[in-house]
Parts: sequence; C-alpha cells; structure tokens
Amino acid sequence: MRVSKVLPVTDISGPLDRARSRSGWRYRCAVAARVGLAAFGGYALAGLATAFLSLTLPMVRSEAVATATLISFAILAGAVIWVFAARTLLRAALGLGLPIALVGLGLWLALDGVAMGPPA
Amino acid sequence: MTPLSIALNLALSFAGLAALCLAMDRHHRAIAGRGQTRARARALRLAGWAALAASFAAAVVTSDWNFGPVQWIGSLTGAALLVVGLVSYRPAWIRPAALLALPLALAAALLA
Amino acid sequence: MRQGFRQSMAWLHTWAGLVTGWVMFAVFVTGTATYYRADLSLWMRPELRAGPNDAIPAAERGIAYLKAHAPKAMAWYVSAPQPDRPVIAVYWMDSLEAPLGQAMLDVETGAPTKARDTQGGDFFYRFHYELQMMPALGRWIVGAAAMILLIALISGIVTHRRIFADFFTFRRDRSAQRGWLDAHNVTGVLALPFHLMITYTGIVTLGVMYMPWGVTAAYKGDDLRFYVEAAQTTTWRPAAGRPGEAVPLAPLLARAQGEISEPLEMVIVNNPGDANATVVAVFEEPHGLAHQHPQIAFDAASGSVVERVEPLKPAARVFTSFMGLHEAHFASTALRALFFLCGLLGAATIATGLVLWTVARAPKTGEAPGFGLRLVRGLNIGTILGLPIGMAAFFLGNRLLPVDLAHRATWEGGVFFGAWALAAVVSLLRPHRRAWTELGLAAGLLFGAVPVVGALTTDRGLDFLAFDAAMLGLGLALALGARKVSHYEARRQAAKAARPGPARVPEGLVEA
Repeated sequence: MRVSKVLPVTDISGPLDRARSRSGWRYRCAVAARVGLAAFGGYALAGLATAFLSLTLPMVRSEAVATATLISFAILAGAVIWVFAARTLLRAALGLGLPIALVGLGLWLALDGVAMGPPA
Repeated sequence: MTPLSIALNLALSFAGLAALCLAMDRHHRAIAGRGQTRARARALRLAGWAALAASFAAAVVTSDWNFGPVQWIGSLTGAALLVVGLVSYRPAWIRPAALLALPLALAAALLA
Repeated sequence: MRQGFRQSMAWLHTWAGLVTGWVMFAVFVTGTATYYRADLSLWMRPELRAGPNDAIPAAERGIAYLKAHAPKAMAWYVSAPQPDRPVIAVYWMDSLEAPLGQAMLDVETGAPTKARDTQGGDFFYRFHYELQMMPALGRWIVGAAAMILLIALISGIVTHRRIFADFFTFRRDRSAQRGWLDAHNVTGVLALPFHLMITYTGIVTLGVMYMPWGVTAAYKGDDLRFYVEAAQTTTWRPAAGRPGEAVPLAPLLARAQGEISEPLEMVIVNNPGDANATVVAVFEEPHGLAHQHPQIAFDAASGSVVERVEPLKPAARVFTSFMGLHEAHFASTALRALFFLCGLLGAATIATGLVLWTVARAPKTGEAPGFGLRLVRGLNIGTILGLPIGMAAFFLGNRLLPVDLAHRATWEGGVFFGAWALAAVVSLLRPHRRAWTELGLAAGLLFGAVPVVGALTTDRGLDFLAFDAAMLGLGLALALGARKVSHYEARRQAAKAARPGPARVPEGLVEA
C-alpha cells in the first residue's frame, strides 16, 4: 500500500512513459502519433457523427442538427480521452477506426436515403 | 434575482459549507485545536447539507427554476471561496461567521 | 493495470494544460472583463451621457444616415440607443465578404458622434474569441484551445481523485509546490461547474462554425436556412433587381412594438431601395436563459408582415440556452459579480497550473534551468502579468491619446499590444523572480494610475466610482502580489546564505 501513496504530483505519464524510458526520439514519435490521431481521428468521428445524427435523429431537421451539433463536442472530447487512455497506439487507432467506419457506413446509407427522397 | 435573494443564497450556502468543513476531522482539528466525536461530525454534516438544500430551495423560490439553479451554483462557489480563505488565513473566525450568517439569511429572507 | 488510466490522464492534463494555458488565460481574462463590457464602453466614451433613448425616432435617424452614406449596401443595421450605450450604432454590409461598415451617431441629431473613436469594451469582447486576428483564424485558434482546455478539465478531474476530501484544503505552510498545487485544485474545484459550463458553451456558441457537418448534411450547407428553421433569424429575400419605394418606417415599428412587450433593439433593412426590400424589427431577449430575439419582418414596399420568428423548439432552446449561459446577459448586478468571480477563478486556475508546471520542474540548487523551463517561465510571466499590463495601458491610452487622432481606435489597440509585448520581452530578459516582482509592481502602478489619469483628463467627477474602485482594487492586488514574491525571494536568499547546499528533498513526490 505504500507504493500507491508515492506518486509524482505532475507529469506522470502512462503508456507514453514506457516509450520515453527507451529513447527520447521514440517518445516524441509516440506523442506525435497520439496527438495526430486524437486531433484528426477525433474530429473525423465527431464530424461524421454530427452529419449522421443530423440525418437520422427522429426530429424536425433543424432540431436534429441542433442536437447533433450540441453533442458533437462531447463525442470529440470522449474520442481524445480514449486515444490517450488506450494502452497501445494500435488499440487507440482500432478503437477510433471502428466507430469511424461504422458511422461512415451509416452516413453513406443515410445520404443514399436522402438522395432517393422520402419513402412513399 | 434581486441582490437580496443572492445575499440569502450566499449566507445559507456559506453556513452550510462551513458546517461541512467543520465536520471534516482535519479541518476541525485545525480550527478547534482538538478532535471531535463521530456523533458531532455527523450532526455537522447533516446541518451542512440541510443548509445547502435550504439554499437551493431559496434560490428556486426567489428566482424560479430557470435561474435558481444557476444562482445556487454561483453562490456555492462564492461561499466556498470564503470558507477556504477563512480556514487558511483566519480559522478562528469561521465558527462565529457561520453563526452570524444564519440571522443574516433570516433577515434577507424576511426582506426579500 | 500497471500503468493505469489515471496516470495517462495526469500526463494528458499536464501537457494539454500547458499548450493551451497561455491562450486560454488571455481568453478567460478578457472574457471575464466582457461581463462588464457596457460599463467599460461607457467609461471609454466619457463624452457620452445617458439621455433619452426613444428607439423609434433613433431608428429613423439611423436609417436616414444610411440612406445618405451607404445607399448601395446589401443590408443596413441600426442598433437603438441603450441606457449603457447612449449612441445610435449603424452598420452596413456591402458584400458578404467585406467587413461591415459602421458609424456611431448622436442620439439627438443623428450626425456622427463627437465622442472619441474607440472600440470600448468591444475590444476585449472581440479579443476573447478572435484574438484581434483575422476573424476566421482567431476563432479557430480559440476554438481549438478551448477544446484542449475541455480535455484538460476532464483529465484533471480524473487525476484529482481527492476532490471532496481536499475540497477546502489550501496548505500554504508546506512546500511551495504543495501550495501551488492546492491553489490550483481549490480554484479549479470550487468553480468547476462554471469552468465546464463556460468552456463547453463557448465552443457551442461558435459550434456551427467548428462543426458545420450537420448543416452540410441536412441542409446541403445552406446555414441561413438552418438558422431560419431553428427560429434564430428571418428569411433572406433575394433582391428583385428593380428599385422600389418603401413605406414610412415609424408606423411599421410602432405596429411591431404593439405585438411585442420587449424594447426594440435593432432595425434591419435587407436589400434597401429594392422592390423586394424587407424591414426586420428585432427586439431584446425576453428575460430567460435562452438567447433568442423576437423578430418581425415586413415587406418594405407594402408594409405587410412577411414573417415572424417562431417560438423555440426544445433542442434549439437548449442550444440557445447554452449561448445564453455563456453570455449571462440575464444576470443582475449581484449574479453578474458571481460570474465575474468565477471567471477570475478560471483565470487563476490556469495561471496556477502554468506556474505549477515550472515549480514541479525547478532545477536542484546549483543546476542551471534548461531552455524549456526558461521559456515557459518567461511566457508565464509575459502572459499572466503582460496581459494585465496591456489592459491597464489600453485604459490609459484611451484617456491620453489625442481625441482627434486619426485611426484612434486602432492606436488604442496598438497601445495594448505594445505594452504587452514590452512586458513579455522584459520577462524573458530578467531573472524570473525579479521579473515577477518588477512586472507585478508595474501592473499595479498602471492600474492605480487609471483613476488618477481619468480624473485629470475628464470632467466626469465621481461618475465612474465603481470603475475607479475596481481599477484601484486590481492595482492593489497586483502590487501586493509582487511584494509577496519579493519577500519570499528575500527569505529564500537568506536561508540559502545560512546553510549552503543541503540536498533538496524531492518534495511533492509524496501524495498526502
């Protein structure tokens, strides 16, 4: 129990720290990769989800857009937290890529529906 | 949302938070110089939460459901800052101040 | 889980906080000042005095001015005088790309006002989301910084696991690092609902710009249509391309006022002079959280009602309430003071966090600080004290620059940035504790000078007591802070001289 009480107050890194202990260059690459994944992957997921929900939420379209835009930033925040919390870069990328693919597919289908017009 | 309703809110929140602070052993020791019984700590905690609940009720009654919660949260921040300042710089003042806050709250409630 | 979630979040909190800290400190300070935007504007235009503010005659004067000076514009906007802004503000749009033209008119005569040329409180308001850059660039930078701050807040909550146990804890008698950490925690936790609210609602306020993909998908990018359907504005009617005669304005506005109990705030004329022109009467927000203005649009040629803005639907109400909470226009004096206090706590949380980063990395006695640490220290002082110095200089500039100077408002901005840049350079050149003391003292003196210079250069006597008191209070706080740093430094030097070079205990490494 002693061990759990000894904790640096700041700059305690998780998975990234292990990379740093091996080499500074590798540590920097790992950080850059996560930052890039968080920024671009997170924004991609949030943007796709906003578009998807705007088309599919069962409300008037202005309400759907307002709801989707409101929660999009929470989705973005969640995605970024996930990327930095995941144990390995691969897990982070998979955990982000899978929902992106799913929401992207959903959006593609929804856009198709819009293009064909409302069902009779 | 008059100044009086906010004064009422602040006074109740301050009294409540001061009681909650006193209920914590570390702070009680620093303020009173000695420990306290479990029963006393529980009573203080109960009184503290009751005062915070009263503060919430006062906010909603005087400023309706739209602004009441906003005002209540704001008063919690202001009052908590005061408690922390007193605990850190003038620990002896906190009990008299909390007791003084109650008649002030009553006065504000009667005027509001 | 050996390397746990909490450690990852602590790392994220540290670095997200550092990269976003300087920008967000400036955004918090100027945004907090914006709670008193109207009061700042009044102080900065001492020539103006509150007078009659009859909206309809004022609107007529404004439209008359625009008819003469911007006859070819796509749209005219006339903002009625307010008790806290006793001028008629007129704006016109020449094209969708060009910035709006604007003028301030005297309420009585409708001629350009004699008041000094200044942006007033709008300077800080615009700075807090555009940084006085090109609007698009500034907004994206602030948006990205705010998003990173949101991440820092969430990861900070995860990191700080003793939120309730340490709720009231501020240990100033222990190590420096412990004191800074407690100060960071207390300012962060006590106003945490505010910090989360103001950051998220700030992002949402410009949310359709940052996240336009919902509008792209559902409206094919026609955001005007979205705003109309979300009951935020009236439809834009395209111009007919042939001239048209407009009916007199005053009866239209009187009819609109008959329907709506809120005071008239603004009159918009779309496609003025065209046969398809519309007149939109915009009213002040009803007392409530939501940010929505009642609006009625008339056909300018016939005077018939074209459109009324509908009541808000639930999601739009939540969306606009977020914007309303951010702006806090609804707040009375006392509640506004609490919002202001929360804003200051937000700035203090960021500032203490930035300082904590350097304190936690302070080199052992005898070791020279590295480049990174020196840079962060310099930027910390340059931001935390440089910005207040810039703000005080901005107020002094408002009183000291010649009233008839050409481009005076731009010069005021120049004074703000010049003083800030100077402070930043000083902070990088001086030893860092000295810089804290000297610049803190300078900021204190500058704020203290504002009421004095104000009294000497205007004849407004005691009209600005609250403003003067606030300036003196700020000046005093900054000067006292500087004195505290210098005392601390003196004690440290004395202690060092008394017993040279004991091994430094790695304080702060042990939690609790």
